[in-house]
Amino acid sequence: MTSVPSGSESSKWLDAHYDPVANLYTFSSCIALADLHGDGENKLVVGDLGTGSCNMKLKVYRGTGLMSENTLLDLPTGLVSFLMDQHEPRTPAIAVASGPFIYVYKNLRPYFKFTLPPLEVNALEQDVWNQAREEMIDPLSLKEMLEGIRDKADVPLSVRSLRFLMLDPQDTEAFVNLHKAQPIQRQTVITCIGTLKKNMADEDAVSCLVIGTESKDVYILDPEAFTILSKMSVPSAPTQMDVTGQFDVEFRITVACRNGNIYILRRDSPKPKYCIELSSHPVGLVRMGKSVVVGCAQETLQGFTQKGKKLWTACLPAPVTTMGVMDLPTRGFQAVLVGLANCEVHLYRDKNLISTIKTPDVVTSICFGRYGREDGTLIMTTKGGGLIVKILKRTAVFDDRDSAPGPPLAQSIRLNIPKKTKLYVDQTMRERENAVAMHRAFQMDLSRLRLAAARAYVKALESSLTPMSSSLSEPLKMNAVVQGLGPSFKLTLNIQNTAACRPVMNLAISFLYDESLYSMKTAFFKIPLLVPGLNYPIDTFVECLSDKGISDIIKVFVLREGKSAPLLTAHINMPVSEGLALN
Amino acid sequence: MGLLDKLSGWLGLKKKEVNVLCLGLDNSGKTTIINQLKPSNQSLFGPLSDDWKHVSQTQTQDIVPTIGFNIEKFKSSSLSFTVFDMSGQSRYRNLWEHYYKESHAIIFVIDSGDKLRMVVAKEELDTLLNHQDIRSRRLPVLFFANKSDLREAMSLVKVSQLLCLENIKDKPWHICASNAVKGEGLLEGVDWLQDHIKTMKT
Repeated sequence: MTSVPSGSESSKWLDAHYDPVANLYTFSSCIALADLHGDGENKLVVGDLGTGSCNMKLKVYRGTGLMSENTLLDLPTGLVSFLMDQHEPRTPAIAVASGPFIYVYKNLRPYFKFTLPPLEVNALEQDVWNQAREEMIDPLSLKEMLEGIRDKADVPLSVRSLRFLMLDPQDTEAFVNLHKAQPIQRQTVITCIGTLKKNMADEDAVSCLVIGTESKDVYILDPEAFTILSKMSVPSAPTQMDVTGQFDVEFRITVACRNGNIYILRRDSPKPKYCIELSSHPVGLVRMGKSVVVGCAQETLQGFTQKGKKLWTACLPAPVTTMGVMDLPTRGFQAVLVGLANCEVHLYRDKNLISTIKTPDVVTSICFGRYGREDGTLIMTTKGGGLIVKILKRTAVFDDRDSAPGPPLAQSIRLNIPKKTKLYVDQTMRERENAVAMHRAFQMDLSRLRLAAARAYVKALESSLTPMSSSLSEPLKMNAVVQGLGPSFKLTLNIQNTAACRPVMNLAISFLYDESLYSMKTAFFKIPLLVPGLNYPIDTFVECLSDKGISDIIKVFVLREGKSAPLLTAHINMPVSEGLALN
Repeated sequence: MGLLDKLSGWLGLKKKEVNVLCLGLDNSGKTTIINQLKPSNQSLFGPLSDDWKHVSQTQTQDIVPTIGFNIEKFKSSSLSFTVFDMSGQSRYRNLWEHYYKESHAIIFVIDSGDKLRMVVAKEELDTLLNHQDIRSRRLPVLFFANKSDLREAMSLVKVSQLLCLENIKDKPWHICASNAVKGEGLLEGVDWLQDHIKTMKT
């Protein structure tokens, strides 16, 4: 059975809190648990994305209630809590990455703002702008020169030049006058953020910040001075990362990039050491012990070794929305939490599904850890902005075996084989007794049927009654549709040239009908040149003259100019005119 | 119990000894409550004096998270209590059941300000009441909805609702709000406990 009985699931988790209107819109990268005040009670820190353009807030939850709110200036892309110094009490700082800045909060107050170092500027571009500043070139030639640089140079243009190239000619003058005085800058933005212990593996050791940028670089920052300790580069823009180890000893940074690859960076190598090429884009990246677990866009969960060897693949029933790691060191338990688009959260240990949690909405972020005073707390936020807090029971045990084993469900579906009745048995008895006579009679009937069919076909060909023309020079197809209730009907003929590449010309259409019953404006007209493949709907209007509810057949002929035999014929059974009956 | 003991008990010379188990989640205030009930604490027997306030402050200041359990003794008007003050941290909670057999009453302390962990308290209470050593006995259970002085504290009704106390049918139980730091509400609870232990014994 694929479904896990709900009774066994409710015996593992306690529903501590559910607030469907918490108004929390965030992702797993912007959520953290931290003992902000050093009182042993962990708080939930959330970088709320708001609507994506306004209402970005740094929210702190304590217990079931919102404790504080700080407005964020820009959309947060990542949020981590880390210890930046050895001062007592050991209260962690919160780092919020947004745009090219990292805002560091201590005691929930703004403390420091780190800005990414600007990128190298193209010297040619700088020269061109300098000339523009000294009024040596006009905007038009500036535009031409910048376009030349854009096409050739290996250092990309700055945002200002790209903006300038986009402008309409009448706006360029004002733009140049406004911006020419300032020096050119190229800035990049932070895409993901993580933490790395500096030199001790303790829980309360000082951590460095690790950031990935849009310019395909990974920086490691000093926790106190906010200087760049190390710079590494990857072949594509990083989107998610996982960091383990210690900066001074050995570390591994696993980076999932936008090109669908995962790169593993190590100490003392500015380039990635190992690369994992995935068949689809990574949605979630989690490290569990010595293996890397990746949730792919193709509804699979894949496990890799630290060196990038594939270990296993598990198929998921729905697309992955988010992933998190569930680590309970006191019980020696580690598993991966996978949020799915079908409102479930699956718990995997290696490739085995060990538990399923049903949620009232699609989960967009998952965080597991110590919240308040409870070690095993699972915090989830939903697509609709809700907050779910679940607490793992003290007595809960997860058995190692897969909870979704056994044969697939399709095997237990019985085939729909019809039953045989007595009638069938009697028929077979009769067939057994009179087999020779039956065979002869049938063969006789068959040959008569063939004769009759061939006669009818020849007759139809002779009078061109078929709506498909088989002649090689004019392969045509026609069908007719009658619309309306009467007394006036709309008659649409759909004519198509089925030749590969030869147009058909000089065709005409003629209608044959009982003139006392129907009237038509034109019973004969030419049709345009038929381009192969296109369908030509040709409309005519037919008026029914009789008020007695009589209907008749209208015959349509497609004729070739200069030939009397029609190419195609269609017989249209006109419906009874209901309009007159109503009058 | 010898005849002499009974005699002295009737005469009130020697108080009856009872074992009480003090349970609850960590940080709910078990040790503080027991501390307030200890003999040095004058509040049970008289009005608050300035002298006592000083003592209580020094007492409460050095209360640290209990490791394992503590055994404390205190006396009420007619009983002598031996309290097993258990640690409420989750890793020590499996020690609780070893003391169920010897106990004559249970004090269950709840942090009424901790709404999040009320489900955990309920879960622990349910496992406690369904334990084989507790299920069949008519032990009196006293609940302290502690920390009633906190701003976010829940009312008694709310706490008893969240814990589903109305489902306890086979045991006498009582819930009272308390503020263990000041000692408010403790006397009422201990009086109730004393009455019920006496009726249970006779």
